[in-house]
Amino acid sequence: MRTRLLAVGAILVVIAVVAILVRSGTSAATPGGAPRTPWGEPDLQGIWTNEFDTPLQRAARYGTREFFTEDERAELDKARLALLGRDRRVERGTELDVAGAYNSVFMSMKRTGRRTSLIVDPPDGRVPPTTPEAQKTAAADRDFRLALLQSTETCKSNSTACAGGKYDPRPSPRRAEALTRYNTARMNRHYGPEDGSLSDRCLAGGIPEFGTAYGGSFRRIVQTERGISIFYDVGQGQGFQRNIVMNGSPHLPSQVRQWHGDSRGRWEGDTLVVDVTNFSAKTDFMGSRENLHLVERWTRTGPETLEYAVTIEDPTVWIRPWTVKEEFTKQSDKENRIYYEPRCHEGNYAFPSLLLSARLAEQAFAEGRGPDPALSDNATDFVGVEENPFGR
Amino acid sequence: MSIRLNGSMISVAIVAAVVGAVVSVSMSQTAGQTPRPARIDGRPNFSGIWQANNEAHWDLQAHAARAGAVTQPGVYPFEYARVAAAPVVALGAAGGVPASLGVVQGDGEIPYTPEALAIKKANAEQWIDRDPELKCYLPGVPRAMYMPYPFEITQSTNKIHLAYAFATTARTIHLDDVDRPPADTWMGHSVGRWEDDTLVVDVSAFNDKTWFDRAGNFHSEALHLTERFTLMTPDVIQYEVTIEDPKVFTRPWRIAMPLYRRMEPNIQLLEYRCTEFAEEFLYGHVRKEQLVKRWEGETMIVDITRKVPPGDRFYESFRK
Repeated sequence: MRTRLLAVGAILVVIAVVAILVRSGTSAATPGGAPRTPWGEPDLQGIWTNEFDTPLQRAARYGTREFFTEDERAELDKARLALLGRDRRVERGTELDVAGAYNSVFMSMKRTGRRTSLIVDPPDGRVPPTTPEAQKTAAADRDFRLALLQSTETCKSNSTACAGGKYDPRPSPRRAEALTRYNTARMNRHYGPEDGSLSDRCLAGGIPEFGTAYGGSFRRIVQTERGISIFYDVGQGQGFQRNIVMNGSPHLPSQVRQWHGDSRGRWEGDTLVVDVTNFSAKTDFMGSRENLHLVERWTRTGPETLEYAVTIEDPTVWIRPWTVKEEFTKQSDKENRIYYEPRCHEGNYAFPSLLLSARLAEQAFAEGRGPDPALSDNATDFVGVEENPFGR
Repeated sequence: MSIRLNGSMISVAIVAAVVGAVVSVSMSQTAGQTPRPARIDGRPNFSGIWQANNEAHWDLQAHAARAGAVTQPGVYPFEYARVAAAPVVALGAAGGVPASLGVVQGDGEIPYTPEALAIKKANAEQWIDRDPELKCYLPGVPRAMYMPYPFEITQSTNKIHLAYAFATTARTIHLDDVDRPPADTWMGHSVGRWEDDTLVVDVSAFNDKTWFDRAGNFHSEALHLTERFTLMTPDVIQYEVTIEDPKVFTRPWRIAMPLYRRMEPNIQLLEYRCTEFAEEFLYGHVRKEQLVKRWEGETMIVDITRKVPPGDRFYESFRK
């Protein structure tokens, strides 16, 4: 009797396996009601975005509480609606005033989300402390950037952009220093492309990608059997793509480094798990570079929803791994509002203009027609305006 | 006890046999790459990594080999005897251009209007100054399909996504009904349909900024393409494009070529994010300390230094 049961069970297994392998074309939903592709994998396809604004880190006043109440969300929406934000002018006629060009209409915020922070682990919703090594690197980087600002109005006026530094009317001798670590952020020196931020060079756009309070973070997923492609529309034309390897093979050899890493995926039940390594040392995510390791979990939770969780790990930067969770909402396929172009690069007139202006200012100074370029700040923006009351 | 074992073993054997048979069918498509079924949603499955293996990226038309990607007059007054010029002269035989029978169908001619032909010739003469490829701009279609870089097709039921290694370019072929883009594009707006087992793609909404090759072949914003993808074997796509642009060409014309599957078992699409690589080319003249030493305004003058390494046998023989 037991033998027969086992045999029958095995045959049922065979039938089930065959049914899956021949891809009968049925699109049975996942247990959660989410659709499947005709070949039986959970269907993650479409254009997705986070329609709500949630701060990366939780404000301390919420402690370990993961969700806002509905009343709190309404209150926060009201408070944020009343913000002047970038419509508040800093002192008129200053360099910083000019830098605040994007106003509150351009930078309108999304509504408050359910979560008190994107970070769900550690339980306080905060980025874990950094290692002594990472603190040292960050401090050296900050000191250099402050030295480039020390003789400018920004430091003279005690702007928050000069916090930690102090005004000195004489330009710092450090202005002549060669870069010893790949620069990714804007600095008050414009000797060549390398002094520019990745964003100014049209080289920003990377993972993990958490969007902004103002939106502008879309991703399109297209699937085939054992193949997934994701295109990210982010940062005003700084979009990028990931083609996830789904054949169980190991990561790229360690000398092959990429701006967007090496993504290798597998299905764990109905969740797509993607392991990402091999980042280039030219990338920087909150201080993490070539040692960044991500484990992403993509789960279709319903017809219009996709849950995304990512565990972020770099033992050279953070004392422990941390995890972010987002819920994406499906966008209209018909309206097709995701843009792969124009890219930032094809229209990047600003960056060479910045470099050219720096050369002209140097020339004017040399000929006694203008001030020392080291006395002006062409790097700082958006300082002194009201920030999102979510806090930091 | 022994009966139970036998039963289990038989069932395991059945599972193994059936799974093995099915898996071998679904994997029979190709030796390399991720194994995938030959058909998807009832259509030929183009998913995988592909690359042209021809000289179309140099020049769509038939041409003889030449000494350099950039040439100058040599000692002869003949066009066919030009020699390599800076900046490629220091690359020796690696800087030349291979010959080709061309990919333009019919008489092999590109039917330019007389005015457009003059522009094409000027483009060729000023290749370095004008070719958007050198600036790492989006390559356009069809050029992206036959550049010397691989691309990946991810084929679903209502979308077919193409991801190109060059400049991390992408386009999506829509098999469903979508709104047109709000502005002209570099890579076009691709709408596909099936004609039996051939994927036919209508591409429009182009700007006038992309080229067809490194020979200066160009188009206007009126460009309209009809691409046809047909599997000749599981690992070869016959790719054909009908090219129409009444502002530049006097009639439609056609190119055709095979696209080959990259068969390496470990093949995957790797980045060629050239924005960074083109910075010296684009912004070198506005550096404080220039790396390229000679600039006349925005004009880069490349001085070539080529040193003979000590111990080089060929040169040592002269020195004896």
